[in-house]
Amino acid sequence: MPDATPELRKAGSAREATLNHALDGIGTPRMPLADSRGLARQAYDHLELPRWRRSGFWTTSLQDLDLERLEIRTHGPDASPPAFLRGQRSAGVLVQRDASVVHIELAAELAERGVILCSLEDAAREHSELFERYYLRRLRIDRHKLEAASAAFWTGGAFLYVPPGLRVPDPFQVIYEISQGGSAQYAHTLAIAGAGSDLRLREYGLAGDTDGDSVHAGQFELYLEDGARCRLAQVVDWGPGSVHDVSTSSVEVGRDAWCHWLPALLGGALVHHHDEIAIAGAGGDMAFRGLFFTERSEHLDVFAVDLHETGPSGGDVHWRGAASGESRASFEGLIKINQGAQQSHTYLQFHSMLLSASAELDAIPSVLVGADDVSASHGGTVGELDEDLIFYMQTRGLTRPQAVRVIVEGFFEPLIVQLDDEPLEQLIRERIGAKLAGAAEEIERYALAR
Amino acid sequence: MAELEIRNLHVRTEDREILRGVDLTVRTGELHALLGPNGSGKSTLANTIMGHPGYEVTEGQILFDGEELRELAPHERARLGLFLAFQYPVAVPGVSVANFLRMAINAQRDEPIKVKEFGAQLDHAVRLLDVDRSFTSRHLNDGFSGGEKKRAEILQMAMLKPQIAVLDETDSGLDIDALRTVAEGVAKLHAEQGIGALIITHYQRILDYVKPQFVHILIDGRIVMRGGPELVERLEREGYDPIREEIGANA
Repeated sequence: MPDATPELRKAGSAREATLNHALDGIGTPRMPLADSRGLARQAYDHLELPRWRRSGFWTTSLQDLDLERLEIRTHGPDASPPAFLRGQRSAGVLVQRDASVVHIELAAELAERGVILCSLEDAAREHSELFERYYLRRLRIDRHKLEAASAAFWTGGAFLYVPPGLRVPDPFQVIYEISQGGSAQYAHTLAIAGAGSDLRLREYGLAGDTDGDSVHAGQFELYLEDGARCRLAQVVDWGPGSVHDVSTSSVEVGRDAWCHWLPALLGGALVHHHDEIAIAGAGGDMAFRGLFFTERSEHLDVFAVDLHETGPSGGDVHWRGAASGESRASFEGLIKINQGAQQSHTYLQFHSMLLSASAELDAIPSVLVGADDVSASHGGTVGELDEDLIFYMQTRGLTRPQAVRVIVEGFFEPLIVQLDDEPLEQLIRERIGAKLAGAAEEIERYALAR
Repeated sequence: MAELEIRNLHVRTEDREILRGVDLTVRTGELHALLGPNGSGKSTLANTIMGHPGYEVTEGQILFDGEELRELAPHERARLGLFLAFQYPVAVPGVSVANFLRMAINAQRDEPIKVKEFGAQLDHAVRLLDVDRSFTSRHLNDGFSGGEKKRAEILQMAMLKPQIAVLDETDSGLDIDALRTVAEGVAKLHAEQGIGALIITHYQRILDYVKPQFVHILIDGRIVMRGGPELVERLEREGYDPIREEIGANA
């Protein structure tokens, strides 16, 4: 029995139509790379820069961006991996700086066992059969200008293939860096987990303090074949510069496969992410986690989709977000259970914490159910800093900023500990800590004003 | 040797005056009990001593070793050696008891405590208070029973080693076993660390297990009677009404 509130039916068919349009016809027919690039180029030429409206009161616009002025910057190879990975174990590392893949390393014994980690450009040439079987299977190339630009112009890119049955305990790490302002980075990651394989994959989007507008238009696709297991984490922190990140990520979970996916969206002037996980095979299961922290005048727009194409299937979506400064964050979560996907069971929850009077944070959950023997529901909380809790900690000797930090870290902690990955957990905690330190004064002002 | 001295303390909240001239002195090594009926201002006194922003001191002084506390933030008062055990401890989601204790200890020191030293102190404290070691890996007060919350308060007190602790109705909502554990914990900390304590209570039960030397009775925002342990016995026999009548007659 559906125990969900079918909000959309209440909200009317216009909204349902909008959502279906966002999901419409996921996937691009199989064709040679040159052809898909050509089609994307045509779409790019006639499409406008995107402007999204959510529920009529929320707008994310990239129409002021001057794409033509941005540079595609290339770089030569760089022998050393990024400093933040030092001391960590990795199965493989791939770094793309602006438009160029500058560093690739892969453990020799993994290469011998058939693991492939290379630039996507190389994969299209050297592993064309694998490449063509999966590339764009679930991604569109023509819904808006930046998506088309990414599909038409991507350079470098990352390709990971883990053969069937192979278990790789250490993480594969793919890093996209924007090295300076005024850059356009069109990125594409394609990862394939063969049947029964087991892996960890981390993708990072990072920039320092850049000057001037930049764009990261990314596409990410991960396919989990039957019985494969993957822990996927994406860490995005574009720093205080003017980086516009418009990206789509898609994870396909095959028969009896499992995925734990956590995007951590920790900074960027304008970030619009469409993150979608689809259970495509019976017995597929997933935990879709996400967290974000916005500050200053950042604008974040997340559309997270939990799609069940067949049953029985499981899902558990749990996101948490905090907003400080004058930032605006919108989280839209959609559960969609297709017709005939019987015995799908899923739950969507979103919890938010507002840290400033000028910040805005909205949550829009929706459920679209096309089968009758399923359960799909959603829940959530909206919170502010608890003054009683702050006083409690102060009486133990913690300063007010320390107490606020404990509360905000504690707010995210239920998701962070589930990563089961100490270096990654530390990285995310440190970045959240640094953001809180930056926002300390204004959090204090907000508290005093209340 | 530390001394908490409260002189002619008047405190109000947004809507009314709650404390109307309280005088009270607590020194290290002394056990005081403050008894009073509901609404007499007991929790207001406890919260005001620690600097809760919701209470406004309109007159009088709170001195710690002669230093005026009124301008100090709660964490600064804690660092001087004051501690408040809460009537209703709040949950600190996502932070284990042990991690919280380490944070609190480090907040009062220049150099972070060594892992080994902290472990030894924690082992000692859980043994002294007869707390299960696994308790310290749970999230502080998150899903704790009433008894577990109070035990966590006493454990924090043992680890932070204050000079003077205020226990705000630490006995409320406890069954007799939990009450005994908490009361014995206070008595042990008094014996071992020589802390001074102001035990604020509505019932007299806790005083069966921890023997105060000084007893004060707070009614309508004033301390109306002072004495020794015999005052507790009298209250137990007679309740507050005869005392109210007596002070009414004197006024």
